[in-house]
Amino acid sequence: MTPPVPYPQNTAVRAEPGSFRDPANRVFHAGDDVLRGLREQAAQDWRALAATDFFPSLLAAGKVCGTEQVAPDLVPADDGGPWAAVLRHERIPFVSHPAEWSFAMLRDAALLHLEILTEAVPAGFTTKDGSAWNLQFRGAEPVFIDVGSFEPAREGEPWAGYRQFCQTLLYPLLLQAHLGVDFQPWLRARVDGIEPHQMRRLFRGVRRWRSGVLTHVHLHDSLANRHATTTGREVRGQLRHAGFSREVVLATIRSLTRLVRRLDWQPPATGWSDYQSTCGYSTADRIGKERFVDAAVADAGRSALVLDLGANDGTYSRIAARHAGYVVAVEHDAAVVDRLYRRLRGEGERRILPLVMDLADPTPGVGWRSTERAGFVTRSRADVVLALALVHHLAIARNVPLALVVDWLVDLLAGAGARLVVEFVHPEDPMAQRLIDNKPAGLHAEYRRDVFERLLGRRCVIQQRRELPCGTRTLYLGTVRD
Amino acid sequence: MVLAYLDAGSGSLIVQALVGGAAGAAVAAKLYWRRLAARFRRPQESGTEAPSPQTTDRT
Repeated sequence: MTPPVPYPQNTAVRAEPGSFRDPANRVFHAGDDVLRGLREQAAQDWRALAATDFFPSLLAAGKVCGTEQVAPDLVPADDGGPWAAVLRHERIPFVSHPAEWSFAMLRDAALLHLEILTEAVPAGFTTKDGSAWNLQFRGAEPVFIDVGSFEPAREGEPWAGYRQFCQTLLYPLLLQAHLGVDFQPWLRARVDGIEPHQMRRLFRGVRRWRSGVLTHVHLHDSLANRHATTTGREVRGQLRHAGFSREVVLATIRSLTRLVRRLDWQPPATGWSDYQSTCGYSTADRIGKERFVDAAVADAGRSALVLDLGANDGTYSRIAARHAGYVVAVEHDAAVVDRLYRRLRGEGERRILPLVMDLADPTPGVGWRSTERAGFVTRSRADVVLALALVHHLAIARNVPLALVVDWLVDLLAGAGARLVVEFVHPEDPMAQRLIDNKPAGLHAEYRRDVFERLLGRRCVIQQRRELPCGTRTLYLGTVRD
Repeated sequence: MVLAYLDAGSGSLIVQALVGGAAGAAVAAKLYWRRLAARFRRPQESGTEAPSPQTTDRT
């Protein structure tokens, strides 16, 4: 086991609001560091885990977030007394919600969870739970983050995380693969995922014969109802007595892996799929815009966090990634995000994170007290926000007043000096005109360049403005005022 | 014994035997055979049977 490493004292430590369900351990933040306090049993489990062969291999492969033991007094004692051990984890540059992932992202996350179990179970370990929240993304690469979930397995017991796995990973995948229904709203609405009885109602008739549905949905729900009054302790005892073994757990994991690999969803062509070639830019416009964005991000520094809002196929996220530390590419069209993710994953890209989100309805805080999992705005402390060809969609199509749009964009930035790169599409532009024509005449009379510039100037110092050759689009670089 | 913090769900535990391949099927068959046999067992014989599943869990 790696010896504890020294760590500077006097850093303010605050508890992670989403880490409280398992009393054996808790996550804390100290500056940019992510720490995990372990109670005595969890500390023993950690020492056993660190001594296995499989865990260091998963760490080395980047499949589990980087973890090292630090001095135990780095996290102050709380009502449970001093922590028996403290771990420091690799910081995930931008924490995302499963409801913000595309189909292929959720499937890769599910497969990684199963792969980790496939490695852990033969070594006598298991995970206490099976939630999609155990996983995050490092760019387009899934990573298992809940090191506190590992524990020595008790012989003869099934995987305790199976129901959570179904509710937060398998069922959403079944919804999308078999019914073509976007799973994101379901996961956003329920932090614990979709219940078996809800799924059963959606998979009636011949749909029950679709891959994985009869067993993991119908049978699962029937057994849950039949054994609603039987305690888990009784059932565990009965299963152990009937010969349940580690081999059965492994067979279940293998069966789930085969099923999840078979599930697929081909993103349909949507209005946004071919946006870059249909959005009306000339070559001169495109080159001018790319140069402007490139220069604006280049000056922000190598460690910058960039939010590319309305990222579409990720063209400008890639330009930003030439200079920035990490880029979050946010796009509301799940099909477009899925294609982008598959390309980035194929390239092994670890600095561009694609996310699905309607920017007129960004992810709220969810779970306990609505703070267990922070909303998008709370998580966004960006050094640079790119809002290219976005403002007219919010202001005209979604009727968000321009002043509120500007305020919201500035709220996503880290503070004074952070950069806002924003494109204003003039009302005369054909794309803006098309949106305006869908609304009653005069409704968007205030949607004007001079109004936008005045509002932007109130919150930012306008460092640069450049009108594109087409004459109907202007790019601005603003830095947030003190 | 330290039990997991999560309520895994009784039905969710049993269904794993039914999706766990041949080994799981054998466990499921044994589990339900025992339950079936228990229905026909005369009450006074219960004390002479093998330890009940509930008692085996108290380890």
